[in-house]
Amino acid sequence: MEKLGIPSVPMATKSFADLAKSNASKRGMPHIRACFTPHPVWGKTAEQLMAYVEGNDPVSGKPLMQEIIDGLTVPLIAEDTKTGMMDVNVGPPVYGPDTLDNLQIHFLNNGMTDFLPIIIPTPEKVDAMLKGSSHHPDEVVGKMAAGAFAAWTFTVRQVAVNAVMAGCEPEYFPILLAVASSGMAALGSSTSSFAYSMVINGPIRDKLNMNYTIGAMGPFAQPNATIGRAWTLIGKNLGNGGIPGDTYMGSQGNNTNYNNIVIAENEKDSLWTPYHVQKGFKPEDNVVSLFAGEDIRQGHGARGAGVLENPMFDDQISDMFRTLTSQFDALVICDPLTIKRLVEQGYDTKEKLTDWLWKNTMRTAKDYRDSAFVYTFHYPRALRGEEPYATWYKCPEGTLIPYWPKPDNIVLVCAGGQTNPFFQVGNLTYRVSVSIDKWM
Amino acid sequence: MNRRKLLSLLGMSPVLLTGNPAQAGQTKHAAAPAADPGAVKITTVNPKGTPPSIQLIPMAPRLDSLDGKTVYLVDTGFHGSDALLHQVELWFNRNMPSVTLVFKRKAGPYAQDDPPLWKEIKEKGNAVIMATGH
Repeated sequence: MEKLGIPSVPMATKSFADLAKSNASKRGMPHIRACFTPHPVWGKTAEQLMAYVEGNDPVSGKPLMQEIIDGLTVPLIAEDTKTGMMDVNVGPPVYGPDTLDNLQIHFLNNGMTDFLPIIIPTPEKVDAMLKGSSHHPDEVVGKMAAGAFAAWTFTVRQVAVNAVMAGCEPEYFPILLAVASSGMAALGSSTSSFAYSMVINGPIRDKLNMNYTIGAMGPFAQPNATIGRAWTLIGKNLGNGGIPGDTYMGSQGNNTNYNNIVIAENEKDSLWTPYHVQKGFKPEDNVVSLFAGEDIRQGHGARGAGVLENPMFDDQISDMFRTLTSQFDALVICDPLTIKRLVEQGYDTKEKLTDWLWKNTMRTAKDYRDSAFVYTFHYPRALRGEEPYATWYKCPEGTLIPYWPKPDNIVLVCAGGQTNPFFQVGNLTYRVSVSIDKWM
Repeated sequence: MNRRKLLSLLGMSPVLLTGNPAQAGQTKHAAAPAADPGAVKITTVNPKGTPPSIQLIPMAPRLDSLDGKTVYLVDTGFHGSDALLHQVELWFNRNMPSVTLVFKRKAGPYAQDDPPLWKEIKEKGNAVIMATGH
């Protein structure tokens, strides 16, 4: 609005004071006249909110309403009307020479790590990493922003530096370039503590000895562990993410952010079509598909397991869906044994199961509209007339509506070592699939 | 102009723009004890990406007063923004009744612009108070 010539005062709660000032500065308006209320505002009564309005701004200590009025009426000073460009310094291209210990501390103190020890990215190690791809070190890979911030750009070489730090081998490098080229950071800025996942398909899984059998999502293989870790470092260092109070506001944090949820699909033991083929790639293509959302949770076996002759996995998965938020979709990771049982139940394709789950996981329109996430993220889309949200907001309270707009919002993949027919459910939304071969 | 001086004039810490303000509040580790003079010293590569230059944007001229003016109260959609703005509206009605208030919920996801609303405010409004709840 300021750009349009309309004086404006943004209001936020005091928890966002640093973020507001920092983000306004990065967007070129460092003296924006923001004011703040105590935190939080949601769930407060009208009387409590009026007390906020009649009280002081907890950041400035001044009466809030006077600050708002002043913000709109006190004349600007010269600093408020400055124009021009300003470069931003991120430090010299190299550090040192220094000892290994001091360089480790330097990276730690400057927020360039995940607070676990890193492999120090010497020029020699970075050069070795660069040999993992035919792309020129100075080629621009893409842009990344860990939230609604100005995006940073980065080159093949800059991705390689972070790959070294995470402990990756050069042959993993094309996967990281593919991930980085998506522009998707594995650290979000939201007060929700988001989780991120990648599904890797194609022959590269075996070439790298990725683990997709026993303990597929655990710390049991170097590529699974370090590729996921590198994604977080890429978000921090190439996307300027993960700075608490500035570019990261997740209230409780998310343990999966250390190395994310890396899933090499068990194509060999699955009776279903591999995920990348569902997305239009050939079986021999190497592809990484990225997901973002809230979390991942263990399945609870199957309804009737140990009692019934045919345990109902479909019902159990549907039950778990009712614990998810509609803000994000569902990524179901099935052990090959679970898939075998589901095929025996008649779900010989992924589509048959996603269709059944979509049609049979319902809730009332009232329950849907009572969701805080729905209010924040779907209601604005309903206001714009976007379907199905507009209809879901208009229909009677008792109307049964599905959890997601279409069956495609449910993704099924296979991973696991067949020690038991289990599954896990991620409240995660598919974002993009990227060719790894392109970055070989 | 010296970059640090310019940042200082803008009221910004240089460290803010290099991306590490949060680390200011965290425990810093001291350098390791003096190393053996013969210890191997190495160089390392900066892992940071390349931030864009910042285009400074001049703020809009301020109003002489709010008397007789139209102020839009814009709810970004985060929890509680609407309830808070309704109390702001009530305060104006009680204390500055000459101010005309228009409450609007911004359409679209919170990080997206709402061009029709911006156009309406440009045509019909004099000022904006925008609230982000939580």
